[in-house]
Amino acid sequence: MSKVLRLNKGAEECVRELLKFLLENGRVSGVVTLVRTDNGGVAYSLITDPVVLEEALPLFPLMPANAGKILSRSTLIEPSSKPIAVVMRPCELRAFVELLKLQQGSLDNFLFISSTCGGVYPLEMVVNSNIEEKLLQYWGSIKKDEIVPDIRPTCAACEYFVPYNADITVALIGNKNVDKQCEIFLNTDKGKQFAASIPGELAKGVVESEIIENLRSKRQAKKQELFDESGIEGFDLQEGFDIQKVFDKCIGCHNCSKVCPACYCRVCFFDSGGDEHDPHYYETELEKRGYVPILPATTFYQLVRLFHVSTSCTGCGLCGDVCPVNIPLWAVALKTSEAVQKAFDYLPGRDIEEGIPLTTFRPEEFAGVVE
Amino acid sequence: MTLSGRGAVFPAEGVREGVLDFIKRALGKNCFDAVLIPAKMPGSDSFPYLLIQDESLLENAHPLPPVMSVQGARAISSLTVRGKGRKRIAALVRPCELRATVELFKLGQVDLENVFLISIDCPGALPLTEWAKNPKKTEDTFPKVLKGEASESLRPICQICDKFSATGGEDLHIGTLGVKAGSILLTPNSPKGKAILNCIGVSAEADISGWQSQVDTLTAERKEKREQAHKELESRATGLDNLLDTFSKCINCHNCMRVCPICYCQQCFFDSNNMKFAFDDYLERAGITGGLRLPPETLLFHIGRMLHMSLSCVSCGACEDACPTAIPVAQIFSLIGNKNHEEFDYVPGRNLDESLPLRKYEEEEFEEVEQSYVETSAKQETRDV
Repeated sequence: MSKVLRLNKGAEECVRELLKFLLENGRVSGVVTLVRTDNGGVAYSLITDPVVLEEALPLFPLMPANAGKILSRSTLIEPSSKPIAVVMRPCELRAFVELLKLQQGSLDNFLFISSTCGGVYPLEMVVNSNIEEKLLQYWGSIKKDEIVPDIRPTCAACEYFVPYNADITVALIGNKNVDKQCEIFLNTDKGKQFAASIPGELAKGVVESEIIENLRSKRQAKKQELFDESGIEGFDLQEGFDIQKVFDKCIGCHNCSKVCPACYCRVCFFDSGGDEHDPHYYETELEKRGYVPILPATTFYQLVRLFHVSTSCTGCGLCGDVCPVNIPLWAVALKTSEAVQKAFDYLPGRDIEEGIPLTTFRPEEFAGVVE
Repeated sequence: MTLSGRGAVFPAEGVREGVLDFIKRALGKNCFDAVLIPAKMPGSDSFPYLLIQDESLLENAHPLPPVMSVQGARAISSLTVRGKGRKRIAALVRPCELRATVELFKLGQVDLENVFLISIDCPGALPLTEWAKNPKKTEDTFPKVLKGEASESLRPICQICDKFSATGGEDLHIGTLGVKAGSILLTPNSPKGKAILNCIGVSAEADISGWQSQVDTLTAERKEKREQAHKELESRATGLDNLLDTFSKCINCHNCMRVCPICYCQQCFFDSNNMKFAFDDYLERAGITGGLRLPPETLLFHIGRMLHMSLSCVSCGACEDACPTAIPVAQIFSLIGNKNHEEFDYVPGRNLDESLPLRKYEEEEFEEVEQSYVETSAKQETRDV
């Protein structure tokens, strides 16, 4: 049972109010959240002035970057010495936890605020600036615990929309009055301390509910459908499945790696001469096959990337969102990481104390493989 | 660009067929050992660059594919980054790709000793993202483009391209504009180019003025269109406020840099630890205005990139094709690039022997810029006395 704080405000307003309270009362020195930009988009920003908070859109359904990666990169040199509140989506928070396990960042002094997540729209939607028009439908679907139409497929297929490791969780899914009233779950002592004495009604409750379970099963069913649609159902090396076909259009830009929070190498092997070859390589290939693709390692790069990220991938879907040639990378990543994570009985971002499978040695595991 | 001299009329049922016949003949006579050319292999939907040695595979080649998936200069760089091999390679690329290759040559990032650079009159390319979503639609439109129609469907940067033909840096140019039906025009522009023609047994005796005048006419049209587009862009996208507005959609992925053939740094400064700070530094900076975008260097990245590559920018549009939020990066860079080129009287890619402006010292240039410093230091000296 968590302590629940009820405020008579719409969800977005409610989070803004909470952040304002924290900032104005000196409980935090800054807030990291999404802020409106020109052109109808949002960007993560660090806010110190409560007045600037008016521009904040903490729950805006767009993911311009993975907040986990942003927090990691901004605490690589030194952690924050002052308390900071961060509003992030469940998959972003899990990604940050994975990066912490990889010693790429610090959680010192962060207060994590998250929400049960309805998902986000594709990044390309910001190009046409029509997300505002969709908001009514977005919140309508959340009230009815339905999958929001037109959200990114990775969100429609996401089962982990209840945050792990959040100090404070804002309950959105299934809240029939999400535009008038909000429920804030204070999950940890830290959450309770920071939010102490905010005016509002206090109660007790749990985030998990039948409503949540209902949406989860809807999304599980949807996931299967989306895997089929994206043509990667046989990606687990079913006989006759052509992996190369999936990556056929790859232009070798490596943008999937650049935006990915789980892609942990500081300099990618493939950006540091890893896909360079001596002339005799090309000459040998020409003699063998009569031709050789230039750039030479597009599919190989994708497979190596999957090796690296599949234990820590939290399905945030940015890889697919930024791919200039529309490869369903979100599905490839989700399908692969589900299988890998299941094999290790591991859920990335669930528990900071849980070691990443490849850093943990268990003498008795995979006995069959050892045989 | 004007090519001097004469060309060879080569029979061609269509442009593609003619070009492939020419290559087949050259491969058959060992004029070169392999050809780098876009190709669509059986079972594939895409047009990557392939290095082809086996003549029979040439039937999959598309000298002018509907999209530019990888910039040809990047392909040539990838192929020769560890130096030249024993094979002599003909690279058939679009003019903008060839010009970028010439720039990379000046930067020491390609080895052209065993490479024959061949350019071809370019009808333009269609947007990569639209093709990725619906390849069939793009491939249905492209034949119209090849006939000089449907220009509104071209990538915006191609619509205002005034360097779609011979660049000056090629060994051989394939002319398709203003040539007799049923033929293409092969014009050599270097001893290497002449050697290829000799090798396949054709002589460059044909007058090229018909092709040249057609190229000149279209160049003039495109120049006007380009100027107009730049004028419009200048009022909308330049100045700090406009730049901030235009790049506000930037998600800081740096993909424009990674697909850019020119962006020459082996590791980008903006991806290095030089641009990572302690969290408290960010907090302090946020305190100045009340809020700070994370990471904060979005516009600075684009301006830094501009400083590095705009003198060599060939307006190939790869950046714009690869931008996840459709920022008109290529158009903005083409505007800035043009202005910078004028300042230095420089045209990127026109000549392999010309050095990059920033590597060349000319005592007499930019005196008006120097003037204010001369005055300041004179005052300083007077005071010191």
